[in-house]
Amino acid sequence: MEFLDLTIRELHNELVKKTVTPLELVREALLRAKSDANNAFELIMEKEALNLASKLKEPEANNLFWGIPFAIKDNFSTKDVATTASSNILNGYVPVFDAAVVKRLLDAKAIPIAKTTLDELAMGGSGTTGHLGTTYNPYDRKREHLIGGSSCGSAASVAASIVPFALGSDTGDSIRKPASYAGLVGFKPTWGRISRFGLFPFATSLDHVGYFTRSIFDAASLLNILAGRDDEDSTSSEVPVEDYTRLLTTDIRGARIAVIKEVVESIYDKDIGAAFQKTLASLRARGAHIEYVSIDRKLLESLFPTYIVISCAEATSNNANLDGIKFGPHYEAPTYEGTIMQARTKGFSELIKRRFVIGSFCLMKENQEVLFLRAQKIRRMVVEKITAILSDFDVIFVPASPTPAPRIGEMSDRLSDEYLIADNHMIIGNFAGLPSITLPIGFKKNLPFGGNITGSPFAEARVLQIAKVVEDISGFYNLSTRTAKV
Amino acid sequence: MKAIDKEVLKDAAKRLLFDMSEAEYDTLLSEFDIIVKQMNIIGTIEGVESYEPMTFPFECATSYLREDAPTRPLAREEALKNAKSKASGQIKLPKVVG
Repeated sequence: MEFLDLTIRELHNELVKKTVTPLELVREALLRAKSDANNAFELIMEKEALNLASKLKEPEANNLFWGIPFAIKDNFSTKDVATTASSNILNGYVPVFDAAVVKRLLDAKAIPIAKTTLDELAMGGSGTTGHLGTTYNPYDRKREHLIGGSSCGSAASVAASIVPFALGSDTGDSIRKPASYAGLVGFKPTWGRISRFGLFPFATSLDHVGYFTRSIFDAASLLNILAGRDDEDSTSSEVPVEDYTRLLTTDIRGARIAVIKEVVESIYDKDIGAAFQKTLASLRARGAHIEYVSIDRKLLESLFPTYIVISCAEATSNNANLDGIKFGPHYEAPTYEGTIMQARTKGFSELIKRRFVIGSFCLMKENQEVLFLRAQKIRRMVVEKITAILSDFDVIFVPASPTPAPRIGEMSDRLSDEYLIADNHMIIGNFAGLPSITLPIGFKKNLPFGGNITGSPFAEARVLQIAKVVEDISGFYNLSTRTAKV
Repeated sequence: MKAIDKEVLKDAAKRLLFDMSEAEYDTLLSEFDIIVKQMNIIGTIEGVESYEPMTFPFECATSYLREDAPTRPLAREEALKNAKSKASGQIKLPKVVG
């Protein structure tokens, strides 16, 4: 096994023992990044990464992130490093500051080696709509399967062991769905737990910062350094940060786990169903109390349309600053409206324009009551239902996706339960701002799939505890295309 | 809900300050067939009228005024760094009046 095939904690141990140096690690990561065949990267930060690594000489035994290479989704601002959010309207844009999470990792002496691809402006779930084209699932060397999005490049770079972790963002399930398709741990903590300062906003009331790792311990470690109040983000929380790694335990006797019956019933893939039931049985054997709970099917079917209305409406205003004047490609025109019109017409892809039009339509005076406000009311209805369930349970556990990674171009019926419920239930975590984690629970042929655990606001420690036990049960610790035995 | 036709979509795009090709409007119009069916589900949920619209997952906690002192000023060079059209230390736009 080569060094980069290790987890953050394992790598840290090697760095402290001086069996490898940050410079050697970064060189290896850059080599792997350059030979990436999955379109995972917007930009490889070779010069910057080598420069940072060459300055690190004496290991810091108490700093898990010292000298650890990582990748950043390209919708986080990085000072002096071009950032496009995979959209042509931001080609050439070079931020003048670092996002809060990037700064925290730099302060911890972790080393960013690349900016990763995403669905344009993070507004997609397939990993096929960025301006560099489709990002492929590393588990399929024929490049016929999606990895999912929008955090596609970050997922691909961790799954292929180019880096041990990568930053992502999650507005609908943009970390947790690709994590399922890529056999990774994908964690989105509570809304407000991690600062969003420097994250390009898509839908402010739903956007979360999160990340991909290959172990639950690493996910807990990252939360230890990324969580906490940031005055630059007025929505970041004052709730005290815990020591999430210290709180990890394998004792879950008495843990109360809810399973949403309608979600499980909407999954027709027998392998996923069987792996999920097997995991439930093992949890029960370890002393967890498992109970099926029910949510009105109509309410679940309304999740996706409600999400589309709210997210597209918020996106139209959040992206109003993309005008080709202050940054991005500029077009001369007789009027400033003409300049903006040209920049936006040429800069946005068709898909993004369609989403903006949907948002604008929902905000039209005649539609505000029946679409936008109604969607916001349904959101509260969903959140109250979930809050009631979580008042009686530690977590909700369900399969993260109805299938392993779909083939590129494969479309499911957009009005079926499999699509509306099983493929979109993780939106609940964004509506309610809940800590929610996906981790691998099985394989179908050569493709992994995950389970999803969601807890109460700021109950990250409990979510991670139960996730750790699921990791022990599945045995899928440090899963990557280099370590998977499939 | 407002009836949807190509003119409505063109009006929406115009408000958003971009344009699309006729073929793209046609695609969007057909996409709206499914979107409307999905949005109709929203209309079938009973009892929703008694709920207050939810704009954020939680109440935002920030309620303080910081000292009225600059903390992170943006230098002029940095503010202009990404603008392509500029003159005399400012971003330059076409004349609005006269």
